[in-house]
Amino acid sequence: MKFQLKPPLKAWRSSLVFRVTGTIVALSLILIWLLGSALFSRVSSGIFDEKLTLSILDAQSTARNTQIQLTYSKYQDKAALTLVFDDILALPPRTFEGTAKEIAVFSFPNINDTFKFDGTSNLLDPKSIPENFREITRKANETRWERANLIYLDGSIEPGIVVGQDLIIAGVGKYEFYVVFSLSQQEKTMTLIFNYLLLAGIVLTFLIGLTTYFAMRRLIAPIQDAARVAEELTKGNLDLRMDFQGEDEIASLGYSFNEMAVSLQQQISRLENLSKLQQRFVSDVSHELRTPLTTIRMASQVIFATKDTFEPTVARSAELLISQIERFESLLTDLLEVSRFDAQAAIMEIEETDLVALVKETIDYVHPSQDRIVILHAPNTPIMVDVDPRRIKRIIRNLISNALDHRENQRVDVQIAESENEVSVGVRDYGSGFNYTDRKMLFERFWRADSSRARSTGGTGLGLSISLEDAKLHQGEIEVWGERGRGAHFVLTIPKYAGGSIESRPISAQL
Amino acid sequence: MTSIMVVDDDQDLAEMLGIVLTGAGYEVDLVNRGDEVMPLFTVHAPDLVLLDVMLPGLNGVEVCKLIREVSMVPIVMLSARGDKQDVVAGLEAGADDYMVKPFDPLELVARMKVRLRRSAVEVNTELCIGNLKIDQIEHSIIRDGQTIALTRLEFDLLVALAKEPGRVFSREALLSEVWGYRPATDTRLVNVHIQRLRSKIEINPEDPKVIVTVRGVGYKAGVPGNSQ
Repeated sequence: MKFQLKPPLKAWRSSLVFRVTGTIVALSLILIWLLGSALFSRVSSGIFDEKLTLSILDAQSTARNTQIQLTYSKYQDKAALTLVFDDILALPPRTFEGTAKEIAVFSFPNINDTFKFDGTSNLLDPKSIPENFREITRKANETRWERANLIYLDGSIEPGIVVGQDLIIAGVGKYEFYVVFSLSQQEKTMTLIFNYLLLAGIVLTFLIGLTTYFAMRRLIAPIQDAARVAEELTKGNLDLRMDFQGEDEIASLGYSFNEMAVSLQQQISRLENLSKLQQRFVSDVSHELRTPLTTIRMASQVIFATKDTFEPTVARSAELLISQIERFESLLTDLLEVSRFDAQAAIMEIEETDLVALVKETIDYVHPSQDRIVILHAPNTPIMVDVDPRRIKRIIRNLISNALDHRENQRVDVQIAESENEVSVGVRDYGSGFNYTDRKMLFERFWRADSSRARSTGGTGLGLSISLEDAKLHQGEIEVWGERGRGAHFVLTIPKYAGGSIESRPISAQL
Repeated sequence: MTSIMVVDDDQDLAEMLGIVLTGAGYEVDLVNRGDEVMPLFTVHAPDLVLLDVMLPGLNGVEVCKLIREVSMVPIVMLSARGDKQDVVAGLEAGADDYMVKPFDPLELVARMKVRLRRSAVEVNTELCIGNLKIDQIEHSIIRDGQTIALTRLEFDLLVALAKEPGRVFSREALLSEVWGYRPATDTRLVNVHIQRLRSKIEINPEDPKVIVTVRGVGYKAGVPGNSQ
């Protein structure tokens, strides 16, 4: 198994496993979240309600005890009252659970100054009891409660419940009496439950994801296998088959797939054999023709050498014989080259070559004269390229010969231009041209735009087809433009370095 | 009179070659089988051999090797296949040149003349290439007092490079100078012969010092005193 880290978006688009697993994980997350929150809120309200009930009962009993204590006490002045209250505030009993329980006492605003008393137990900040709650408590006759924070003078804060009611001292007036209970224990329990729920949710989601992932992988493995085998088949590795076991749907996919591969292989090998046979035949014929052709050629040359002694018609016949043998020979050579391409037996011999020098040489070879008919536009510096010089020379020779054949007494421009990784050679003539719609046909074997005319100028009808094959061997291309009466433009573009490919065209065939 | 041995299994072609070559003033021996070459070769000692590749009895490449064991006579292969393997096999077996059928008889005669001519160098001037001394009388070279035998073509190739020590020869230039070719022909000929020559005269053919490659251009003579 090979794991590859892909960018998430790409993985999402390209991998079914990823997509299905992702969807299922997302759905489970939502579901678990909803269930968890519902559960949590039920549990937390249950715990709070229980604490609240206990707290109210506790507060009421504390108030009752205090009221009794106050009723039986004797005091005429503030000092005595303070003493009693201090006594109540000094030792607030703890709750049953052992969590903090505080008491706060405030005198009503209408109490005589002599008996005013405000106090809290244990450094509790009087601000812990919210002002609006105090107002409500003062107005009501029964026990009231509210959630509030316990603020201590040392700065610590705890969540809690405040339960408030009145105390009455006969002949003196009313006092507010608050009992405050810390909820920190409940808070702790809730946090713990929340953490457990969260952990359970994460683990559950992870397990669901993992299970889905492996289930999907198992399901998808045969499909991936099929894709891989199909790819290999496409590459030409025809012996590869799918592995499958059992008799389920997947196995039937594998079976059909392998059937297809077998039939494909048979057909391909049949066609391959046929075409091999045919190519071999063409190649053999060409070779077998060569020996007699050599004899004929020599014989005709011997005859031609003594043509001065012949009658004029016989002498002309000897000339025709020679020229037709030459034509026959070039046809044979081209045919052989084509059969090599068809058999994919063409061998490249790459050499580092100066393309400018090569084009110059080729022009001199095709048209060795000073009449400035073929004009070269090239940089003064060499352009070094990795090519098979024999093939490139053949392409250039072909393009220039074609241009010369169709130039109609106009000049022929040959241009060389380079970019960073590519180099182009353009051959432009201003002669008869061709229908632009025929441009694809030009490269077809033995195709002629205008049979009567083309044949008189010679050429085998295979030249451009061979040139295109040569260009393709170099990962290059030949681009074409032409218009009847305006001439033609052929542009060869090849990568400068072996193994490269064309990304830009230094010369465009379009004008 | 210069005598030529023509070896080809096609009797008509051999006869035609005979007519053309006799017309050009050569004496011609015709042989039709590969295995008949050596017995005749030792008796007649021809000045040049035209050798077809596909022969009954013994193929042309083998015949070429046998001839090279006893003689440095110029050999021109005649091939019906212009394929690389064929040509290279012939050249590596020791052939000097090759013609692909159907060849132009005039060109064949021209090439034969180049192969037959004695290189016209002044015997008095002492030629050196790398640290090798060229013996122009014996057509051989001397390395550390030992004589290394060369074919006439190899010798010509070496002399051409040695005569102009500073010059870089392109393959095309060597083709026209040594083989008498017009331009735009097969430069593989040069590559194969340079390799053969190096395997004979270089101490380490992988790191040539006598014939130096100039990348992208061609070859030139090595400088004397250069670690050879």
